[in-house]
Amino acid sequence: MLLESIEYTRPADIKEALTALGSSEGAAPLAGGQSLVNVLKHRVASIELLVDISRLEELRSIDVGEDGVEIGACVTYDEIDRSEAVRGALPIVSEVAAHIEDQQIRNRGTIGGNCCLSDPTNNFPPLLLALGAVMNVESESGKREVPAEDFFRGYFMTAVGPGELLRSISIPRYGPDSGAGFQSLSVASDSKAIVRASARVTLNDGISDARIALGVVGPVPVRHTGMEDALRDGPATADAVREAAESIGEDIEPISDTHGSADYRRKMARVIARRAVTQAIAEAGGGE
Amino acid sequence: MSEVGDKIHPISVTINGETYERTVEARQLLVHFIRDALGLKGTHIGCDTGNCGACSIIFNGKLVKCCMLLAVQADGAEIETVEGLASDGALDPVQEAFHEHHGLQCGYCTPGLLMGATYLLRDNPKPSEGEIRRAVRGNICRCTGYVNVVRSVRAAAGEDVAEFPATGAEGGSP
Repeated sequence: MLLESIEYTRPADIKEALTALGSSEGAAPLAGGQSLVNVLKHRVASIELLVDISRLEELRSIDVGEDGVEIGACVTYDEIDRSEAVRGALPIVSEVAAHIEDQQIRNRGTIGGNCCLSDPTNNFPPLLLALGAVMNVESESGKREVPAEDFFRGYFMTAVGPGELLRSISIPRYGPDSGAGFQSLSVASDSKAIVRASARVTLNDGISDARIALGVVGPVPVRHTGMEDALRDGPATADAVREAAESIGEDIEPISDTHGSADYRRKMARVIARRAVTQAIAEAGGGE
Repeated sequence: MSEVGDKIHPISVTINGETYERTVEARQLLVHFIRDALGLKGTHIGCDTGNCGACSIIFNGKLVKCCMLLAVQADGAEIETVEGLASDGALDPVQEAFHEHHGLQCGYCTPGLLMGATYLLRDNPKPSEGEIRRAVRGNICRCTGYVNVVRSVRAAAGEDVAEFPATGAEGGSP
């Protein structure tokens, strides 16, 4: 396919990248390109300058520390999948990376691109909300930390402004009394997700804390505090989880499209959230 | 760093051991560069949306779909395409296995599947059926139903597939 004429630059370091991104309103970072190249083919975005950040070593490291894991924006899904350090610290992150699309896309697609595209059907956004991740954003004028909950702003919109770049994502570890879950519903393994849910649960004589994020039920992933409150200080039983999931109702307003009606998505959100919480409880060593 | 405003970019790419120095427009896809600028037509264009995998190549050691990369991104890259598999007219073991076990019918997806199988076997010389099916998930074949593709990859891995039951069940659909 023939793309529209476009400018391209490959900066040598992050400083040059930020200068290039700040040089024009039409500048956009190019990481793995597994979504952006299709965007260019379909001519649905007015991008004048591609700033190729895919080779910047500063964006390609995985740092596993005592508090958590910091993953550079240009780390690929395959590199996350193959990182024993990530698998040891946050196995749910490895599992989600391993199930993205196919080997070719996992070899090029990046976690930063997955987030910055802000496609409501993407998998990392709800996971990062549930895990309480922090997005490290940088521009020529400085750095700022944006909680994942404030990062996703709308369909294909994030908190990353003109001249800014997502540098890395910090995901906190959770203790042995906690567990995480991630579940999706789609018609086939390679079709668009209809609903996603992710949960992080802490057990201490029942459920002492829960974070639940729902995806594909709106333009951006959302925390569901109603279900979190219903679970907190209650027993970690199947009945309690099922009952808590009933709190998902008219408060979410999913869209109706060819993949599912709003009503179907709402009903399935309860099922998928229940499965995600059940998975999290099992990882935390609880359950029946 | 190339100048902003510079629409033509010089690139140097090594494909199947041969180095090519050319200039490209930033908007040129790598698959068009390989096929049209270099005349290496073994790499096919199927969907041109990153779904079908007919254009799969090995790029700096990684299997990728080259309709999803720009040619300018390949500057300095080492690439392997299907033309690099056979030597002196003799099929390599993966090609021989696909030939022997009917791993293709119309052949359109075959260059991508051969590169995918080559990539898999380098990393995992004795894959299970489930691992093979997971590996070829990004390569759409609408003729074979994958049974003979899986059989061919097992044969290329040195397995005796004569009595291989063609269940196609393990590992789910690719």
